[in-house]
Amino acid sequence: MTDGHASTDAPSAGRRLGAGVADVLGALYDPVTERDREYRRIAALCAPFAVLVLLAGLYPLAEVVRISVSTAQYRSLGVSFEAYATLFGDPYYRSVAFNSLWLAAGTTAVSVALAVPIAHALEKYDLPGEDLLVTLVSFPISLPGIVAAFMILVLFGNNGLVTAVVAAITGGRPLDVAFAVSVPGLFVAFVYSMVPRATLILRGTYAEVDEAAEEAAQSLGATPFETFRHVTLPQIRPGITGAIILTFRTALAIFGTLIVIQTLVVWTLQISRELGNGWNIQVAGAMATVYFLFTFLFTVLGLRYTSAEVGL
Amino acid sequence: MVAVSRRVGRPVVTALLLATVAFLIGPIVLTVIASFASSWTGVLPSGFVTLQNWREVLGLAETFGSQRSMGWDPLVTLPIGGGTTVMVPAELAFSVGLALGGVLINLVVGVPIAYAVSRYDFRGREWVNAVSILPLVPGVILGVAFLRAYPELSGTSVGLIVGYSLLKAPFMVMAVQSEFESMPLRRLEESARSLGASWPRTFLTVIVPNASSGIISGLIICWALAAAEFNFSYIVWAKGTQPLALFLQRHISNSSFTKAAAAVSMFFCIIAAVTLLLQQLGRRGFETRGH
Repeated sequence: MTDGHASTDAPSAGRRLGAGVADVLGALYDPVTERDREYRRIAALCAPFAVLVLLAGLYPLAEVVRISVSTAQYRSLGVSFEAYATLFGDPYYRSVAFNSLWLAAGTTAVSVALAVPIAHALEKYDLPGEDLLVTLVSFPISLPGIVAAFMILVLFGNNGLVTAVVAAITGGRPLDVAFAVSVPGLFVAFVYSMVPRATLILRGTYAEVDEAAEEAAQSLGATPFETFRHVTLPQIRPGITGAIILTFRTALAIFGTLIVIQTLVVWTLQISRELGNGWNIQVAGAMATVYFLFTFLFTVLGLRYTSAEVGL
Repeated sequence: MVAVSRRVGRPVVTALLLATVAFLIGPIVLTVIASFASSWTGVLPSGFVTLQNWREVLGLAETFGSQRSMGWDPLVTLPIGGGTTVMVPAELAFSVGLALGGVLINLVVGVPIAYAVSRYDFRGREWVNAVSILPLVPGVILGVAFLRAYPELSGTSVGLIVGYSLLKAPFMVMAVQSEFESMPLRRLEESARSLGASWPRTFLTVIVPNASSGIISGLIICWALAAAEFNFSYIVWAKGTQPLALFLQRHISNSSFTKAAAAVSMFFCIIAAVTLLLQQLGRRGFETRGH
């Protein structure tokens, strides 16, 4: 049995793409070499995931992109860029985009800045009850945004504990002290959801830090801060970049928190409102498309041009 | 002279850690306490100890309107004493079931792709890895996409299950991958093959059972996250029994503070149980990394 795909090992320069694809398919269908069989196994292992992503992810997204340029409201007809003209022309949507970006960027900066010392303490110090502390810090990862918002109401709401304590000390009225339902309250609620995730990522990075170099720096007379600044930080920098990328993505995706604390209209909340107020699917679709392209490009560029490590 | 960072560095960093833990866990403890109080209008909740909030949330006491509590549905009829019907809280059982469905899909799609990435080296491996562990889109956008692409199906249990499975798949892949990476995969595979097992048999009866701890952890994590999924459910849900997260949101937005506290505490109980289960498997809480 002489066949074409045995030559995959030494592809000729002039081979056309079509023949190459046919070869690959032939190799998957009827493998001859061990390498072909391995490719078939890899394809078989990836197939279920690919089917799910295609049916539940890519096809629905393609439909959304299609409807966003449709001229009809309920069917995909013709091509019109009206929704995009609205999105980029109307100052309202610009302000929504601006709200999303500054809130996500600000909360990401605060969360990662908090997560570095937390991960440092958990991984470097021999603290009593360290396992318990790790469990407690990761517990909120499983809480949806609505519950994170409720936690902020418990602390800083009109009846909140911190509100009551501050009001008692300063003699002010609780209603004046409470700030849960305000932009700062929303900011804190975002940080509540994001700190545990950022910590989880950074702890993974810390686990790979070379301790011998740190000990050497210390024994050569470096202070703990100098050791951190010149030995530890350069090693965890890819992890910090990765944490910033993932935490920023998380922040942009937050929605439930905004349903409970509705003080700022951001991109995700506006998408839901477009559907609520008269099924404005073209604009909602255009917003979803812009969001997807933005996060996709941002992630790809982030991974391509930095040494970021992504993975939890 | 001793450097500043040597004197205060460690205490300051430790204090920051403890302050953050207090910020994260304090309100959780307070919520559970408040769920047993009859009112919270002063500085601290008062009127202890009452189970009224819990009874109302779980549907064991009369409620109405938007503060409506869980309905109770018959689950199965046991053949004891002439047919005893087992009743379950509808919203809770509904979410448990939906999340289980999502987890089953995750098992089928997540374990193989994690194995492909951990065991084999192939062109595009980095990209396959990135696609499998990065969420494709957030829940809100997937919800809009489902409404558009599957208008009939999106609000049904099937739509919710499929959506949950796509949204939570990355956690499954990461949990299983971390387990695979600690195993001598090549040696296991080659030993089994040399003893005569076919490749599919090797994968199913040697590799998968050896990774069971990572697989089970992944299933538990995905189950808990799917049971709590709000964003996607909020967009696609139309009518009928509410998923648990929507039930929580209704109480947070409409009910008295103590009753909302009871609803949220009920959810904490589920997550705490899940965390304990994960610890039995040697993991510290909700992390996908086991080693």
